Amino acid sequence: IIKLNSKQCRIYRVRINDLEAAFIYNDPTLEVCHNESKQRNLNYFSNAYAAAVSAVDPDAGNGELCIKVPSELWKHVDELKVLKIHINFSLDQPKGGLHFVVPSVEGSMAERGAHVFSCGYQNSTRFWFPCVDSYSELCTWKLEFTVDAAMVAVSNGDLVETVYTHDMRKKTFHYMLTIPTAASNISLAIGPFEILVDPYMHEVTHFCLPQLLPLLKHTTSYLHEVFEFYEEILTCRYPYSCFKTVFIDEAYVEVAAYASMSIFSTNLLHSAMIIDETPLTRRCLAQSLAQQFFGCFISRMSWSDEWVLKGISGYIYGLWMKKTFGVNEYRHWIKEELDKIVAYELKTGGVLLHPMFGGGKEKDNPASHLHFSIKHPHTLSWEYYTMFQCKAHLVMRLIENRISMEFMLQVFNKLLSLASTASSQKFQSHMWSQMLVSTSGFLKSISNVSGKDIQPLIKQWVDQSGVVKFYGSFAFNRKRNVLELEIKQDYTSPGTQKYVGPLKVTVQELDGSFNHTLQIEENSLKHDIPCHSKSRRNKKKKIPLMNGEEVDMDLSAMDADSPLLWIRIDPDMSVLRKVEFEQADFMWQYQLRYERDVVAQQESILALEKFPTPASRLALTDILEQEQCFYRVRMSACFCLAKIANSMVSTWTGPPAMKSLFTRMFCCKTCPNIVKTNNFMSFQSYFLQKTMPVAMALLRDVHNLCPKEVLTFILDLIKYNDNRKNKFSDNYYRAEMIDALANSVTPAVSVNNEVRTLDNLNPDVRLILEEITRFLNMEKLLPSYRHTITVSCLRAIRVLQKNGHVPSDPALFKSYAEYGHFVDIRIAALEAVVDYTKVDRSYEELQWLLNMIQNDPVPYVRHKILNMLTKNPPFTKNMESPLCNEALVDQLWKLMNSGTSHDWRLRCGAVDLYFTLFGLSRPSCLPLPELGLVLNLKEKKAVLNPTIIPEAIAGNQEAAINPSSHAQLVGFQNPEASCNMSAHQQGVKRKADTPLGSPLEPGQILEKNEDSSKVKLKIREEIDMDTVHDSQAFISHHLNMLERPSTPGKEQSPLEMSMHPVATAPLSVFTKESASSKHSDHHHHHHHEHKKKKKKHKHKHKHKHKHDSKEKDKEPFTFSSPASGRSIRSPSLSD
Amino acid sequence: MADTAATAGAGGSGTRSGSKQSTNPADNYHLARRRTLQVVVSSLLTEAGFESAEKASVETLTEMLQSYISEIGRSAKSYCEHTARTQPTLSDIVVTLVEMGFNVDTLPAYAKRSQRMVITAPPVTNQPVTPKALTAGQNRPHPPHIPSHFPEFPDPHTYIKTPTYREPVSDYQVLREKAASQRRDVERALTRFMAKTGETQSLFKDDVSTFPLIAARPFTIPYLTALLPSELEMQQMEETDSSEQDEQTDTENLPLHISTDDSGAEKENTSVLQQNPSLSGSRNGEENVIDNPYLRPVKKPKIRRKKLILKQVLNSLHVSQAAVLRCEWGAVGLRVKIAHGHSRFWKHIQGISPPLGASGLPSSPFYY
Repeated sequence: IIKLNSKQCRIYRVRINDLEAAFIYNDPTLEVCHNESKQRNLNYFSNAYAAAVSAVDPDAGNGELCIKVPSELWKHVDELKVLKIHINFSLDQPKGGLHFVVPSVEGSMAERGAHVFSCGYQNSTRFWFPCVDSYSELCTWKLEFTVDAAMVAVSNGDLVETVYTHDMRKKTFHYMLTIPTAASNISLAIGPFEILVDPYMHEVTHFCLPQLLPLLKHTTSYLHEVFEFYEEILTCRYPYSCFKTVFIDEAYVEVAAYASMSIFSTNLLHSAMIIDETPLTRRCLAQSLAQQFFGCFISRMSWSDEWVLKGISGYIYGLWMKKTFGVNEYRHWIKEELDKIVAYELKTGGVLLHPMFGGGKEKDNPASHLHFSIKHPHTLSWEYYTMFQCKAHLVMRLIENRISMEFMLQVFNKLLSLASTASSQKFQSHMWSQMLVSTSGFLKSISNVSGKDIQPLIKQWVDQSGVVKFYGSFAFNRKRNVLELEIKQDYTSPGTQKYVGPLKVTVQELDGSFNHTLQIEENSLKHDIPCHSKSRRNKKKKIPLMNGEEVDMDLSAMDADSPLLWIRIDPDMSVLRKVEFEQADFMWQYQLRYERDVVAQQESILALEKFPTPASRLALTDILEQEQCFYRVRMSACFCLAKIANSMVSTWTGPPAMKSLFTRMFCCKTCPNIVKTNNFMSFQSYFLQKTMPVAMALLRDVHNLCPKEVLTFILDLIKYNDNRKNKFSDNYYRAEMIDALANSVTPAVSVNNEVRTLDNLNPDVRLILEEITRFLNMEKLLPSYRHTITVSCLRAIRVLQKNGHVPSDPALFKSYAEYGHFVDIRIAALEAVVDYTKVDRSYEELQWLLNMIQNDPVPYVRHKILNMLTKNPPFTKNMESPLCNEALVDQLWKLMNSGTSHDWRLRCGAVDLYFTLFGLSRPSCLPLPELGLVLNLKEKKAVLNPTIIPEAIAGNQEAAINPSSHAQLVGFQNPEASCNMSAHQQGVKRKADTPLGSPLEPGQILEKNEDSSKVKLKIREEIDMDTVHDSQAFISHHLNMLERPSTPGKEQSPLEMSMHPVATAPLSVFTKESASSKHSDHHHHHHHEHKKKKKKHKHKHKHKHKHDSKEKDKEPFTFSSPASGRSIRSPSLSD
Repeated sequence: MADTAATAGAGGSGTRSGSKQSTNPADNYHLARRRTLQVVVSSLLTEAGFESAEKASVETLTEMLQSYISEIGRSAKSYCEHTARTQPTLSDIVVTLVEMGFNVDTLPAYAKRSQRMVITAPPVTNQPVTPKALTAGQNRPHPPHIPSHFPEFPDPHTYIKTPTYREPVSDYQVLREKAASQRRDVERALTRFMAKTGETQSLFKDDVSTFPLIAARPFTIPYLTALLPSELEMQQMEETDSSEQDEQTDTENLPLHISTDDSGAEKENTSVLQQNPSLSGSRNGEENVIDNPYLRPVKKPKIRRKKLILKQVLNSLHVSQAAVLRCEWGAVGLRVKIAHGHSRFWKHIQGISPPLGASGLPSSPFYY
């Protein structure tokens, strides 16, 4: 039995070596729980889902498609000869995996900008063709796509040639990917793309949708620098011979990296006038390129090794950030990521990078705190997965801290060079495993290169989940001149772990800055740190800082007895931790003013929120004014200042916070109420100019209202905004002004819940509303880039509604949420509807949203709605709500059970929502089921699905056919005559251009005719995969190749050349194949007829060679697949 | 002069009929005008060297002249009203003439031409009584090309100008204020107009007019409006940014290796690249040729029988003006220079058949 992955495909016929083979198609993930009307608890579902996913997990040798090898061929299998599998299949209206974008305008498909691309979360290639959908099964590929002549098909590998079909209406793109690649890294994008060859690197080609070429030119003009950077630090050339970037609409994710091509969202394109999007887009480009090296070229051995790939690609991406945007930006980013992961882990309880699934240890599930299984990528919550990636690169950074960057890069270089050697060695399969990275292999090369033992670090952060939570406080002992530092840990709350080991503490004293490394041990809380300087505040002397700088300080604020200026715990972020440290307000202020590290500055700003004093105010204002200071620090200082001002509202003197500052920086000298005409040449001040009004609008007076002065100020900014002389667009700036207006809104004073009408509208609100109306209307006439202004207006309107100034009504948002608006607008509008659903507990809107989740054409929007509903749920598990009823439970259950089977991400999103709404156990709103069942649930947390076990067995044994599954047993009849034709097509293509009968190309032909969406794309593809030849095959094929070098040669995959020095295998395989290719010529004309008929379905057929070479010695595996892991465990070779 | 008789006759008949029938001054004036025009036409004809003309043709020309002059008047009136005046000025006339396709610059020279005929002053039926206003100074005499019966030049004092100017509003604050409120007014008026004329949404159920929001309309291709800069912004960008130039030259090098596609089907994809088969490319030679698979020409489907190949080659060359072919016996790739219309560019023909190898003869059917 051979098992393959396939979803949504209709399989007509499977042939092995030209013999019809019986097959069963059974996809347990289509409907996770069968016939279980009563069961509604999530625990049950998650277990069933995990079991279903394992039942088709390619890494475990499973698959949806079980093909029985005909008994005639058993001998072949025993002799370990090549088995060639043809699969005829079609794909009708795929719901996932391939996404069609077909704008409903007049004109041909090309004129309308219709396009299609492959998409998915993790290994999702099975959605569009049958394959071993695993990252660890490598093979080389030959792909053919026949498309309308106006379209371009972009796929992996080199475009060998483009040939017209005989009627000249279509053309066929022939791709060759000679680097062994996993099926999961195969992708496709077809559309009427505009083509741009990178002017710096001619092997790089960019594609975008019609009319966007100028934007594409600008956006990609930077890419070559990223290439140079990575190639330099990795001292390794880009592994593929070409690279393609495709920018498409309705993207599944912003960035998706596949072998030698990346698919981006078209919304990343921008012109030279856009400031804010530029760094974001460049980051996306850099990210995708990093993943080309680690993720596409180097693949992973198994799911538990995913963290290495994500870690390395994230890490080198970080290095690129450091080089491009500077150390400040890099450190700020690291801190941001650290804060994110810490917050997530503390909230949900731990992200495990390297899940180990030992056979016996199944019981102590490492992720019992989670409502989903982490055994499979497809059961993970999307948020968990993003956090997983974030943690992975942070851990890589920790490893770098331990072994130095030089060694780190050497390790990467070693991995890459091993892989590229392996990839060029065509036919030796055991070499190909070098292209797969595993945790143990990675750790081994680290210890080889650096000679350091990083095992404790790995154990702490990789094999274990959780972060560290420190509480620190100190006292200064004047007599001993010692700093008594107390560091406590919380390792009992969820998501935390105990840390034992070194911890760096930096103490800034009067005499300078000193690093101390404390040893955190089991029971030691207190640490004595000797101070270097006596307290001597009277002596005027410059104070040396960490970076060697010497500065004058006004020391009057500090404690006369203590020489301590400030203390930092773990300043280099070398532990994944959260630190809550107590020190006096003046120490935070010194830290803010004089510490040069942006992370320290950020921390002190955060801490100063708790100290609303004039001194804090002064420190923040000084930072705001300091132009050398990192702009992000200044931006956060704005918000802190606003908070402090609100806390000290009764004692605040002078004009509202930041007003005079803003006036000084950005307004005209002669008339301070008028802002200068925009000039955004200095990005730092641009960002500050954008942010300050937003922060100012948060100011409140004693009545908790936004001061009139501030509102007038913001309105004046809007009024006098003049962008005529500016080189850059001011759309983000204007959008932030609207955000500022929204921030200034305070709850309306309402009397008896009266209906909001125009007459009782607050005059200030009237002014605000007038601006919003004007902006929103102007957007219709002169739209801004990415409609930033509309987005802000919609948010502002929701704020007005929520505060009771405007009647709460979702109709406006619903109209903006419709398909056909720009995606940012839709998301903003949907967010408002989600919020409305929560606040007004509207069943109708919830239904509307759920309906959209099921029916919206854009997968990203559907995912986003679920995500927003989870973040801002209409009710939670312990809450009484009129919305929580049985029908809703059923609806959501259905959604995750069967409604989302075409999109892993969506299903996991539905699970998340279900968890948020109802929790793990049976929803409380349901009527009590039979008593026995309830008891059962409470006793055993993990109830095994009684149906899933036999089903899994059924899948394995192929004996029982599950009635609910889509199993179909096809015998030896030919279901579709035309399939036969397309099967012969390849013989035509190969042509008898060599007198010697060449082995028939394994490959596949796919013809599509998308009738639903009326895309008349014709794709024919030919894919070589899993070709396993013995040495005889190799040698004779090699001879063939030498004879006709111009013909695209077929790829050989794994075999052990060294073990078969003598050719023993019979040539019968080849004679047979050549016979079939001759035979096919006769059918050629039939094939043409078939094509003219334009049948409304797609055919695809695939050939698979599998020849198992006989293992004679040494090799412990019986199956010489690159993924040895699969072969050992693989039950697929049951015969 | 023989033609003067005709002219005089025409003129005379006009006068005659006029004297016979017309009694009221309006008709009188009408006829006088027409007669004058006839005289003008006749003299112009004479000037052009005609000796005689049929009456019908003179009438037609007169009619044409009259409508031309009326059009000048009508148009000048519109221009003057457009600028909120009641009396046309010289500039109105000039604009009118320009608009009508007349080269104004030639007018002075024409007026001073030597062989022009002077038309006698039309008899004025009732001299308008010009009140003798206070005269100051001596009026300028008419230059020789202006008939003396034309009105006199205005009094000299009317030429004297005393420049008076208001202090220009240089106050920055006022200017900004003005610019801001002007823009705001325009924007508001415009959006209100759009809102009034189109579908609207409202935030208040009871009131739809105070804050009318133009209704959200889905786009068929939403990303285009969202991503492409508006024309206004483009204009701005051109003004402020010149770095685009570099990119332009970069891309100009791209298209050199693209051959025009015979069926034209591929044009949608590569039209941008194809449009300028730049000469710079051929100058740069082969070294600079970008060899990108996506820029390579699309191949024809393979032809199976060898006998057919040559025929096919000929056909396709005839039909398609330089198709790129792939032949089965795979000779070496040849570069054939093909002159195509005005431009010359290189075509890459792979595996060309032996007879084609000897191209370069202009008479050869393979040469284009």
